[in-house]
Amino acid sequence: MPSDPQAYLTLGIFFGIAVAAALVPIGLSHLWLRWFTPAKPGPSKHSAYECGIEATGPARIQFKSQYYVYGIVFLIFDVEAIFLIPIAVAFLDLPLGAVLVAAVFVLLLLESLAWCWAKGYLNWK
Amino acid sequence: MITLQLVLLVSSALFCLGLAIVLLRRNAIIMLIGIEVMLAAANLNFIAFWRYGAEPGSLTGVVFALFSIAVAAAEAAVGLALILLVYRHFRTIDPGRLPVAHD
Amino acid sequence: MNYLELISHVLPEIAVLVTALVLIGMGCAGGSRGGGKAVLAVTAAGLGLALAAVVFGPESGRLLEGMIVVDALTRLFKAVLLALTLGTALFLFPGGEAGGNEGRGAENSALLLLALLGLLVVVGTENLLLLFVGLELASLALYLMVVFAAPAGRPAEAALRYFFFGSVAAAFLLFGFSFIYGATGSIDLRVIAKVLAAHPVEPILPLGVGLALVGFGFKVAAVPFHLWAPDVYQSAPAPAAGFIASASKVAGFFIVAKVLVLGFGVVEGSADWGAFAMGWAPLVAVLAALSMVVGNLAALAQQSVRRLLAYSGIGHSGFILTALVAANAEAVRAVLFYSVIYGVASLAAFGVAGCVLRARGADRLEDFAGLGRTAPAAAGVLALALLSLAGLPPLVGFFGKFQLFAAALSGGTPGTVPGLLWLVALALLMSAVSLYYYLRVLKQVFFAPAPADAAPTRDTSAGTAVCLVCGSVLVLLGLFPSLVLQPLQRALVQLF
Repeated sequence: MPSDPQAYLTLGIFFGIAVAAALVPIGLSHLWLRWFTPAKPGPSKHSAYECGIEATGPARIQFKSQYYVYGIVFLIFDVEAIFLIPIAVAFLDLPLGAVLVAAVFVLLLLESLAWCWAKGYLNWK
Repeated sequence: MITLQLVLLVSSALFCLGLAIVLLRRNAIIMLIGIEVMLAAANLNFIAFWRYGAEPGSLTGVVFALFSIAVAAAEAAVGLALILLVYRHFRTIDPGRLPVAHD
Repeated sequence: MNYLELISHVLPEIAVLVTALVLIGMGCAGGSRGGGKAVLAVTAAGLGLALAAVVFGPESGRLLEGMIVVDALTRLFKAVLLALTLGTALFLFPGGEAGGNEGRGAENSALLLLALLGLLVVVGTENLLLLFVGLELASLALYLMVVFAAPAGRPAEAALRYFFFGSVAAAFLLFGFSFIYGATGSIDLRVIAKVLAAHPVEPILPLGVGLALVGFGFKVAAVPFHLWAPDVYQSAPAPAAGFIASASKVAGFFIVAKVLVLGFGVVEGSADWGAFAMGWAPLVAVLAALSMVVGNLAALAQQSVRRLLAYSGIGHSGFILTALVAANAEAVRAVLFYSVIYGVASLAAFGVAGCVLRARGADRLEDFAGLGRTAPAAAGVLALALLSLAGLPPLVGFFGKFQLFAAALSGGTPGTVPGLLWLVALALLMSAVSLYYYLRVLKQVFFAPAPADAAPTRDTSAGTAVCLVCGSVLVLLGLFPSLVLQPLQRALVQLF
């Protein structure tokens, strides 16, 4: 452990600021809510504005959960593609082995796609 | 001039903000967002330490950030699936309003 | 770098991964009908191949800045994890039918293997990046295993709770790793240890180690990061709970010991009475003390046996962390030895609990009444497991606990009062408390009359066989502890 107490003082101040920076905005928004934002509930305020057309039904409808699974699958494939970026950048300098490794990665993605397809999660019902 | 201290300050604030969201909010999806914010704070740290570190040539920090982004996405997917399951059964995603399991 | 060399070093992991992919393919091809046996056969074959790859694979090696490490210790623990997983897999298939998991046994088994893959990666690395990725892979698979067999109601809720605790802990772990990387410029544990020994410690390093301890504390269910454990152990299917309590915990203790002793041995500090020095040792000592007290006292009040096992597991985390505070070679040996026998005993206990659960529909203490007469084999194994956990002499639990406490007392200058005496005294006291609640269960099993309408407790040969094997391992190791201790000792000599 370092014997320099000054370093720990800096660290303490640092974390005080960090916690404050996280909590102060939350507190301020609550204060704002209480003092500056009077509640004015009313049918016109609660209506979903649709360019002059009368709103029919509630705005919070539920999507089918089928769509939800689709969304999750998209999320995974979208972000896992991040591993292809470094490969793409350095593609021309890569040895054959590295390309094969990348191919294995893509094949893994393909298997999960095939699994989703076979299970019918890609169908819009 | 952006110094290392400044970046660390931002990342620590982000981390605390994410933790506050997880602890204070009563909506599972918002809590999931809080967790993502905490992970993003760690990523910011990795990039900062790499950029201001002794040997920016080694790319360790960048690789770590890359992997943790992918892990965070997988975690979000699992979390969303679990939240959906809980919602289907209990019709709420407020963790405080789920029946507490005990004997 | 030579790809062939790389592949030969990760062959066990590759075998497990390929088996998991095959199982996913089987689930996709609709292998649900009559597929229980086929799935079990594929799983067992994959695990056997992986075990063979461990046994006949390279003896030692260190590739890619410590990302992949093979030595006697990692090989031993990979073998232990594979064996525990094989036991869990046999529990997963209680019969010819798909076991109540709606024909999704293939995917369930694949999840089990993916969790195992994560744990194997964790055990076989000295690099913080692979450590994090492996822990996350195991955790994500475990969240899903909790909910997979019966995706409704309480398991879903327990899984969600497990998920939130787990991902916050993972975020703490990652944030801590980022500070460790910043303070030392490396994520290789050996390089980190070298840097720490050569340079004065940066003030952000203790911060990083402390944050990482939060993440590790979650993984081994130490108080105050234990809140997920009782709900998960009680609501999850018994095999999943058994896996979380055995394999996942063994890997957790392995990696905690390795990271703290190997990477951060320099900044240990001291938790000795009257000689506290800042470092990770006092923090671990506090975790250990809290876990022992909270776990063992809360277990006294439990009516559900699985919940009781969860709290007793929290208490055992406290016992194991007690020895870790001493942080010498003897302590690491005791920690690793005890975590293995704890894993075996928990797997057996959860196996019997699952069998009672299937037969009588609940796992309250009363449901165990008369088990000694209706199912003598299961009752005998349960008695062996619980008495070993309590630490009674002929069983291996006694020897393991003795080693833990002796290791904790071994530190410090000879001739003076050992500095950790306060912690060990607390541990002995709590050990006595734990005997009470284990005996409460056994009293029901052997001395309470079975209810008149009790359905006969029938279980398949596979589950019973696993239970019997676990029980005989506990007895055998109690008589000949050197069977595991000697390989462990040899492996540790290489490490230190």
